[in-house]
Amino acid sequence: MGLLINTVINSLILSSMYILASLGFAFLFNMLRVFNLAHGAIYMIGGYIGYYFIVGMGMNHWFALFLATVIVAFFGVFLERFLFRRLKGDFNLNIMACVLIVVVLQTTVNIIVGDKTMAIPSFAEGVVRTGLFSVSNERIVTFTAGVILLGAAIWFVKYTKIGLQMQAIAQNRGGAILQGIDINRVSAIAFALGCGLAAIAGVFLGAYLRLSPYMGDLMLTKVVIIFMLAGVGSITGILITGFILGTLSSVLPVFISGAASDAVIIAIVIVILLIRPQGFFGYQVDM
Amino acid sequence: MTADNHKFLADKGSILKVCLTASLIIFLFLLPLFVGSPYYLHILLLTFIYTVASISLRTITISGQFPLAHAAFMGIGAYFSALAAKFWGWPPLLCILLSAFATMFIGMLVGYLFSRLRTLYYAIGSLFFGIGVIYIIYAFPCTGGYTGMMGIPRLFQSADKLPYYYFFLIVAVFSIAALYRFEHSHIGTILKAISQSHLVASSIGINEVWYRVLVNGVGCFFVGLIGAGYAHYNMAMSPTAFDFMATLWLCMYVLIGGITSFAGPIIGTFILFLLPEFVRGLQIYAPYFSAFLLFIVIFFMPKGLVSLPNLLKDYFLKRKEGGGISNVSGS
Repeated sequence: MGLLINTVINSLILSSMYILASLGFAFLFNMLRVFNLAHGAIYMIGGYIGYYFIVGMGMNHWFALFLATVIVAFFGVFLERFLFRRLKGDFNLNIMACVLIVVVLQTTVNIIVGDKTMAIPSFAEGVVRTGLFSVSNERIVTFTAGVILLGAAIWFVKYTKIGLQMQAIAQNRGGAILQGIDINRVSAIAFALGCGLAAIAGVFLGAYLRLSPYMGDLMLTKVVIIFMLAGVGSITGILITGFILGTLSSVLPVFISGAASDAVIIAIVIVILLIRPQGFFGYQVDM
Repeated sequence: MTADNHKFLADKGSILKVCLTASLIIFLFLLPLFVGSPYYLHILLLTFIYTVASISLRTITISGQFPLAHAAFMGIGAYFSALAAKFWGWPPLLCILLSAFATMFIGMLVGYLFSRLRTLYYAIGSLFFGIGVIYIIYAFPCTGGYTGMMGIPRLFQSADKLPYYYFFLIVAVFSIAALYRFEHSHIGTILKAISQSHLVASSIGINEVWYRVLVNGVGCFFVGLIGAGYAHYNMAMSPTAFDFMATLWLCMYVLIGGITSFAGPIIGTFILFLLPEFVRGLQIYAPYFSAFLLFIVIFFMPKGLVSLPNLLKDYFLKRKEGGGISNVSGS
């Protein structure tokens, strides 16, 4: 019973974090056609900045989370303004730019902290015990915060003016420009939002799992899987596929070994991609 | 400009190219006479290996699709050959050849499976395939899993680098020549037609699926060959040499050199492998140097390093004409 409950909670936490990270990735691709292979590195740098504020400067966890998010969001704006805007959607150049970012960020982190793995201290101490099972407070806090942030992000995209502008650009770029939407401003906001969401996931998972300079590579795989399964142009689809992937990747390791479960997940994803290339909820892009 | 004149220029250019290529090959054959240090031979050898890998990646891209699983195919070749030599005790040379064919077979199979997918979807599908290969290597105990595989039989009995240097040089020259012929053959032209418009190509009776499968097989054959050679040279390897980042670096070699030109990946690999050696004193800061190169190429040479002569020519012509519109040569 305890195993069951913990697996369920595990899968919920992982799902919410995967969804947070993939939402940012999806914003960038849907709007700007930037296939952001640096998303994992940005997620990683978010975790490390959070670690620095919490452990190095002894800040309150939530304030550190806020600061890390804001810093990474500004970093995203900087990237948009000085890197991606100049590449004008050229796919090859975009990939090169992403590798450039990954190399710079990973090397910087490697130089500063080295190979030693570290973990952000948990957001909450203690354990909730009931008759049948026990769940650590940290998990509950992480899950609750993840769901709240997710709701906020979805609300922002669905109901605010800028969010609607983002959706308009994702649907039809030329049409959106004709309607007078300032595409540069909205792109900058999308980058800020995408990188900020990745940083939030980085801080939470840095406390929940562990920090390492290469943790982004694994996250990138998950993010790309979730995004491709949901399809280009779909935001709600991310919620569903993220939940499915989070569940699969926390339930399967209970039965088979870690690497084998990852291989099984990848196999399932490839089969789905072959049957339905545009994903469950998306449309096919030609680029 | 008359047609005759044009032909003459083209001939002059191709003679120059042949002379340059021949002198480069002779130079590389004679190089061990001057470079005695095993370390530099090792670096050169790795450069040959990755040159073949990147140029076979570029060969696949002439069909218009960009696979993101090339390092994984290299891993398939390497692990197949290593397992065959280690557990079945076959001679390494035979294993290398067999694993090249095995990789070709798997490449064609994957090409057939993914023949419905195009552009972004093909890239992502092959990316997932590459990741899956790495997970499978992790999952099976006989491959050594996360720690990697050790004790792979040597290709040559001696520990000297020299025979390996010549082996890889000959393999690289052979592979590059073969891929050059392939690209400039009838099939290469058909592949370029497919990359421009698969619909038009299909309408004139080109079997798109077959040619895409074929080019996948050719590219994977050479990368499997060189991957297997790498396994028997290194004697130990870990799956991280073939993971997604390795694939991305292969793509970087191609893109930095210039994807539009056959010489691009060769130049890109040599630059990205050899230039960081000059700044080896930087140690852990060395990746910044590669990043700097990427930065330069992204912002100043979007078509890759091969476009540098043309860019310089345009720049100086522009200056000579006092900032007027540059005279595009050959027009």
